[in-house]
Amino acid sequence: MKVSTQWLQKYFALPLPSTAVIADALTFHAFEIEEVGDGMLDIKVLPNRAADCLSHRGIAKELSAILNIPLLEDPLRGALPAFPKKAALAVVIEDPKKCLRYMGALVKRVKVGPSPAWLKEALESVGQRSINNIVDATNYVMLDIGQPLHAFDAHKISTFVGGSLCQLAVRGARTGEKIETLSRDLLELPEGVLLITDMGAESPIGIAGVKGGIAAEITTSTMDIIVESANFDGTTIRRAAQVLKLFTDASLRFQNRPSPELAAYGMRDALALITAIAGGEVEGVADEYPDRPMVRPGVSVSLAKINSILGSNFSKKEVEMVFKRLGFETKITSESFIVTPPFERADITIPEDLVEEVGRIQGYDKISASELPSWEGSPDQARYRGIERMKDQLVEQGFTEISTQSFAKKGDVVLANPLDKTKPALRTSLRENLEEALERAKQYAPLVLTPHEKFKLFEIGTVFPKEGEYLELQTTERGFDGELSRTVAAWGLPAQAGDAATMRDNLSVAKLEDYGKDYTPKEHKLGAYQPFSIYPFIVRDVALWVSKETKAEDVEAIIRVNAGELAQKIYLFDTFVKPARADDAGGDGKKSFAFRMVLQSFERTLLDAEANVVYKKVVKALQAANKDWQVRA
Amino acid sequence: MSLGRLHPISIAIREIAEIFDRMGFGIAYGPELEDDWHNFTALNVPADHPARDMQDTFWIKGEPGKVLRTHTSSVQIRYMEEQVKKGITPPYRIIVPGKVFRNEATDATHEAQFFQLEGLAIGEDITLAHLKGTFDRFFREYFGPSIKTRFRPSFFPFTEPSIEVDVWFEKENRWLELGGAGMVHPQVLEHVGVDAKKYQGFAFGPGLERIIMIKYGIPDARLFHSGDVRFNYAFGEKLP
Repeated sequence: MKVSTQWLQKYFALPLPSTAVIADALTFHAFEIEEVGDGMLDIKVLPNRAADCLSHRGIAKELSAILNIPLLEDPLRGALPAFPKKAALAVVIEDPKKCLRYMGALVKRVKVGPSPAWLKEALESVGQRSINNIVDATNYVMLDIGQPLHAFDAHKISTFVGGSLCQLAVRGARTGEKIETLSRDLLELPEGVLLITDMGAESPIGIAGVKGGIAAEITTSTMDIIVESANFDGTTIRRAAQVLKLFTDASLRFQNRPSPELAAYGMRDALALITAIAGGEVEGVADEYPDRPMVRPGVSVSLAKINSILGSNFSKKEVEMVFKRLGFETKITSESFIVTPPFERADITIPEDLVEEVGRIQGYDKISASELPSWEGSPDQARYRGIERMKDQLVEQGFTEISTQSFAKKGDVVLANPLDKTKPALRTSLRENLEEALERAKQYAPLVLTPHEKFKLFEIGTVFPKEGEYLELQTTERGFDGELSRTVAAWGLPAQAGDAATMRDNLSVAKLEDYGKDYTPKEHKLGAYQPFSIYPFIVRDVALWVSKETKAEDVEAIIRVNAGELAQKIYLFDTFVKPARADDAGGDGKKSFAFRMVLQSFERTLLDAEANVVYKKVVKALQAANKDWQVRA
Repeated sequence: MSLGRLHPISIAIREIAEIFDRMGFGIAYGPELEDDWHNFTALNVPADHPARDMQDTFWIKGEPGKVLRTHTSSVQIRYMEEQVKKGITPPYRIIVPGKVFRNEATDATHEAQFFQLEGLAIGEDITLAHLKGTFDRFFREYFGPSIKTRFRPSFFPFTEPSIEVDVWFEKENRWLELGGAGMVHPQVLEHVGVDAKKYQGFAFGPGLERIIMIKYGIPDARLFHSGDVRFNYAFGEKLP
């Protein structure tokens, strides 16, 4: 949620510290900050605090507790005014479990027009658009104290026009009902989505808790308005937003269940602001509040419990201070605290919630690290070691391990919402990916293998046939002389006939625990990571006759220096010694080295011509290095 | 015949498994295709709760109660249920290096499938201070002695208090976010049949590729599971 520091400032008498200090205070004691702008912070308010902190008042209250600076005035603690009792409208709530409270006020003789500059600036500072003074006022109050509000044009309600009370109903949508929203979208309403309706005309004027309808839209010619401040069930609103794909500031707040008590404060502030900037008189306020909440029970936590969960050493005084700063009404006994959380802190229900308050407000840096007590006996890593023992055997036989995606073009288990629509299923076998990886590996071979070597790959991963998932092992071949088949038999797996292409080993039935329980997996160490280029490479071989005593490393060094940074790999792949023959003077033990250079750029595809330049340079250098050396064509 | 090469993730898991072995942690497993109970409800994430929006889930066609697991935390539930069934009470200490799935757009730092390193330690006196100590020791042994850690407040439905852990990276002179953790929520313990009045403890679940990427300076998460052998050879591997 975007908040403006200037807006926060109005909650405090003394100037707030800089935006950077505010950001740190929140980061280490409350919320992650996603972005810091000029006089603005984008705060990541998570679901547990969305009921009270998607508002400037909520954030100000947090800052007050963290920085220990009192609020000038807390809008949620002042007394509520007595609203005029004159009957203004009648509201019928069909299901009090879906609409927990509905307050509606009739305000007559307003002047709809542009908002004053301060209001426009406040809304723009948090990325909202100014619409008109009535709509802006309702948005302002929502962003200020967290209560979503809405305003309707009273003259567009049928019963009002007829000269009597506005009659509204809060009910579920019926089959086939439609609504045109304020954004001019015509929506079909699935049955059950909660609506605000004009009871007389039996037509929807708003999607409850989500968005208003165009039927009762406020325009510049509006004279009398109905202000709605209500509370709707979180699950109902969340489902409506999802099924209609309509996610709004209002639905975001309602799905996190703010207290119905908040509605009265929202109404108070909205009426005060509207009459101040748009004129008008409040005729009356209706308040349907079927199940007034009981007084919230206290949540009790002992000092001992707080310190035993955190592993800390906080004193009674330090804990007391946290609850005081948070504005929690606390009764203190000899060893315990009984906290009555304020209505907006719906997240405080169990002792652990209070433990978290102490931990975060005091700061987690105050907790010193402690080593776990030592463990009796040896931990059970048998199954893991069984799998790793198999991997070690495969590696010894020259196999290289790969890891591939679990998604596939076809399979028995299909995703309802695949990320890649060309691979909507879960793999039933490791075969396809393994073969594709082998094809690619063959292309890369010059980069990593000598010409005599070839790739043998394996993967161990979960596959999902309809009978149920299991851990599978597949390899690209069965190895020299069927060696792997013998190894597999040693793992307690059934023998299989046929070629590598069809063989697959179900590790979930192998006796992995037995196989692994006394095994220590071989230690491997990864050296520094060297990024590789994604561009194609060019291979150039250079062979030369050298004298008997010439060392390969010396030749390689010359090649390396002259090949330059395009050479990703240089290695000796062949040594040939010419046998001495009576009729061949050249055959006197002269030897030949053959080196491979793998040339590749990190920025682009190398051209043949560029590779040739490198080759020529290397050849020239070799010829010049030693008159006995002869580069072979 | 030359040796083959293990996948870098296997090598990393070995190193990590060894570090945690010495701290008393066993290794547990669970299915990748999970049910709603183990992946969400048992972990205090009820149906229709906005907390479910914190993770983008892959759902299964024709099977409404099933998901591809979004985290390895589901194995915490399976492991504890199994122990309770066998009549084994805490202390419990396990890690779960396992594949998880998130329906999120992929880029250099995000993959739809990746590994998490789940950890769980439950006992009579396991505290948040122990969580700090466990991370400190793990990071010192895995990243190096100059490492520093810090906790920031966060929220997960299955832990209370919940924190995010950052690690100070000397090489880059900044703090790097590693992942979430916290004290296991008493509701979770109750769901699996462990007495929450007697036992408590911590859980963590950072992304494994992220840990490895930080250690070696690997630029792109997509290198791990694309079946590209060049990745195995991109490290100057030192064999014992």
